[in-house]
Amino acid sequence: MSQVGKLGYVDSKLGAPTSGQQTTRILFNTIEVPGTTSSLSFFKNFQGLTDGQTNLTQNKLDSMESMVIKTIWLAQFTSANVLESFGGLVQQTLSIIVGNQTVVKNLPIQFNQGVNGQAFDRLHENAGVITDDQAATSTAQVIQPVEIRLLTDIVIPPQVAFEVRIESNAGVYGTGAVVCALSGYGKIFSAGSSF
Amino acid sequence: MALSAQDKILYVANKLGLSTLGNMQGSTGAVYDVDTDLSGQIFSSASRHQNPGVTNITENQFEVNEALLVENIAFYVKDGNGDTLNFQNVYGSSAVIVYDLIIGNKRTMKNTPVFGAGSPYTFANSGVTSDGGPDAALSSYSPRHQTFLEGAGILIPPQVQWYVDYRIFNVVTGATIAATEETALGCYLFGTRVLLNFNTTI
Repeated sequence: MSQVGKLGYVDSKLGAPTSGQQTTRILFNTIEVPGTTSSLSFFKNFQGLTDGQTNLTQNKLDSMESMVIKTIWLAQFTSANVLESFGGLVQQTLSIIVGNQTVVKNLPIQFNQGVNGQAFDRLHENAGVITDDQAATSTAQVIQPVEIRLLTDIVIPPQVAFEVRIESNAGVYGTGAVVCALSGYGKIFSAGSSF
Repeated sequence: MALSAQDKILYVANKLGLSTLGNMQGSTGAVYDVDTDLSGQIFSSASRHQNPGVTNITENQFEVNEALLVENIAFYVKDGNGDTLNFQNVYGSSAVIVYDLIIGNKRTMKNTPVFGAGSPYTFANSGVTSDGGPDAALSSYSPRHQTFLEGAGILIPPQVQWYVDYRIFNVVTGATIAATEETALGCYLFGTRVLLNFNTTI
């Protein structure tokens, strides 16, 4: 089933509107000064974040909007704006919870850091490139963000709370910020001929 | 079966009553422009820009029976010398572009982030830089700043104005970053193109 078909199928099962502008949708959320912790929850706290740190105001989509998650993207920045390995190099797992259901469960993310060279996706061309140990700066980036392409279409329906949870044994996330983006196909509200 | 680019063009053309679009020349194309006015909009002032140094369009709408199915939206920086630069190399890894694509009076891409660190869809990134010399070790990446559209893309029909509305932020602090004339933001839209074909009409 295509992503378009799956989104339409789930929306119709839930009685959600199926009209709207079809588009590519990327949701993102930032956690400031995460420090060292064994658990991070993205898309849970929006207080104090600007439009450059999240593009949602609550942990659910609007009543006329829904999306299919195709890609998960994770990045960690220092307070000096340098991209660094997400959570250091320790093993971490990712879960996505939609409503009261876990739709991605304990997916390991560490293999998808560039230095590991064992990314799930065979298109991850740069996995495993090792630099000449030059110190990274904000404008000279020596690693890549974590990115995982999902094999199945995960639907976020309208008005249902969702959350991305990262778990580790004391991951070091630093004093800058960590960002999670969910990318995929979606529908956004369109008045069409009704206004 | 997934919808092909050509099918999508014809589907939308049919909805809009553009009955002759299917007789035109199918092609591959890209349009680009730079926000040299620092107005926060790209393409809307293309008619005033140098061609092809800054843009390759004379106005931000296609002529009769021409269209573009947008399949890739990409961002870059143009400096005062007219050089095209990588966004991350200028603004840094933590910069993020948040943009909308507006076609006619409809927002078709909504608050979409493009991260300086490379974002999302960096899988096939091969934009590497070396520290000089043919056998020099890799010293840094130049990430991609593109949105590859899921599905068949979004159609810009003939005779309808479009533009990209954007802001640049620091994702760590949340602060807005102002572009300058030395760091003007550019954008290209790439995809399946429909070109006017006179063969069947003249």
